[in-house]
Amino acid sequence: MKLKQLILSSLVLVSASAWAEPTYRLFVTNERDNTVSVIDSRTGDLETTLELGERPRGIGLSPDHKTLYVALSGEDAIGMVNVATLEFLGKLNAGEDPETFAVHPNGNLYLSNEDDAKATVINPSTGEMIAEIRVGLEPEGVAVSPDGSIALVTSESTNMVHVIDTSVHKVIANILVAARPRGLAFSHDGARAYVSSEIGNEVAIIDTKTLTISKTVSVDLPRSKPMAIKISPDDKTLYLTTGRAAKVVIMDAKTLAIKSTADVGNRVWGAALSRDGSTLYTANGVSNTVSVVDTAASESVMEIKVGDGPWGLVLDD
Amino acid sequence: MRVIKKWLFVLLLALSQPLLAEVMNVPLHYVGPTDGSVWLGLQQGIDEANIQGEFLGQKYTLQVVSMEELMALDDATAILLATDEQHIQAVAKSEKFANVAVFNLISDSDDLRAECSTNLLSIAASKQMKQDALAQWLERNPESKAHVQGWHEDFKKFAASQLNSRFKKAHGVVMDNEAWSGWAAVKLLSDTVARTQSTDAAVMLNYLKNKIAFDGQKGAGATFRDTGQLRQLVLLVEDNKIVAEAPLRGVKGGLDSLGLKSCK
Repeated sequence: MKLKQLILSSLVLVSASAWAEPTYRLFVTNERDNTVSVIDSRTGDLETTLELGERPRGIGLSPDHKTLYVALSGEDAIGMVNVATLEFLGKLNAGEDPETFAVHPNGNLYLSNEDDAKATVINPSTGEMIAEIRVGLEPEGVAVSPDGSIALVTSESTNMVHVIDTSVHKVIANILVAARPRGLAFSHDGARAYVSSEIGNEVAIIDTKTLTISKTVSVDLPRSKPMAIKISPDDKTLYLTTGRAAKVVIMDAKTLAIKSTADVGNRVWGAALSRDGSTLYTANGVSNTVSVVDTAASESVMEIKVGDGPWGLVLDD
Repeated sequence: MRVIKKWLFVLLLALSQPLLAEVMNVPLHYVGPTDGSVWLGLQQGIDEANIQGEFLGQKYTLQVVSMEELMALDDATAILLATDEQHIQAVAKSEKFANVAVFNLISDSDDLRAECSTNLLSIAASKQMKQDALAQWLERNPESKAHVQGWHEDFKKFAASQLNSRFKKAHGVVMDNEAWSGWAAVKLLSDTVARTQSTDAAVMLNYLKNKIAFDGQKGAGATFRDTGQLRQLVLLVEDNKIVAEAPLRGVKGGLDSLGLKSCK
């Protein structure tokens, strides 16, 4: 392990400074046993388990993929880990009850403080809280547009998507959507944003030019509770996790027509998509597993045992 | 995307001006106690409605009135009642409030549901719902001493824990049945106003009865039966601990296995 770390570190040193070499590690937060599972995505083997702090939920990587961030909801902090060496780098103060976050192209973290009806912006290199933005009740999903100009935050209990102008950190629009909005994602071209509604059982498309809803569909699937959304690299396909329905729904990203479904573990929440779009990973909150879905075949090809209550995941590829 | 940014500013100016200038006032008339659980629930509901209203341009206020003052009004946007059955009946049957949503917050009277008034909406679970829930439970657990509640401070699922924790933080006491009813009634109304963008009583009543899928932090989108009863799960509680949710798993009819299903 030491040797491997050494090799990895030297690899990082010799490679271009802006980007780290991919480790192909898949990081999974386990909400109930306070751990992060580290999986080698090429083999599906569990490499190690990290203990960073209480109630890890939201998870993400710095733009250069050198640093892993984990929202520690139970201790109002963001934990930081060196992706290559897995060395613990410390914690940032994140305001009350940080649930999840998105990383801005400039490296800042935009996070939702669930119990406090606000979004917080943190510069992770200084630990400074740059802004606190008041939003609706129970803020949950966060997404930053590919060009970084806007951030979206859902408020679950007030049924809105708040649009934040990142240059001034002010809410510039509030879009009413179906009950209990959760997940958010942008298309890679930035033209569309997608929002899922858990109780309303809907997916909606937001036109990012007009900041209005351009399309909604109800998810026609028994027990469906729409959660996380991922968009394929070519912007043509949408992947939706559905909680108790224990399936990933694969939709046409323009029409939102269901193309197929893939069976995954129970109470599926978080999702991560490989950079090439070939593989989708899901966190199955009750099965305590990660499903590996071959997106071309629309089927799960492997189920990997992780910790207790897997919530979110991120892939360094 | 720079162009988009400019557009956003234009949009902001265009949207924010009329929004700030024309805040929609939503007065809700209330008859009932001005302390205790139901009152605190209403306060929580109003505070949260106004958080949403800050973003969407509404201002909600609770107009506390006596029964006499209420009956002397010509019209109302919506009426909230934490009174006895007779008063609820008198208000719901009054000609001038025929198209106004009248909320029964706390009475569990089965008669109120069986009357099938077109404008009466009952938030509290009815006596029959509670009896049916208990029967489902006792069939499987005959020795149990459990009773039925609509809400409990320890309820965690469906984001109930978030609601319980923010209520406790705001008021220093736990959220109980009646507090939940007060909160839920106001949230049903603020959801309705936000989505219809109307304070026309008839438009609101129609939306409430036919279109709403309400997130009461108690599970699947809640709707009203034609009896005016809010469909909802209830909790079996023993020694102040939640032991089960009703309808129990596998019971035919789901939420409609509890209480009077329909007027038809």
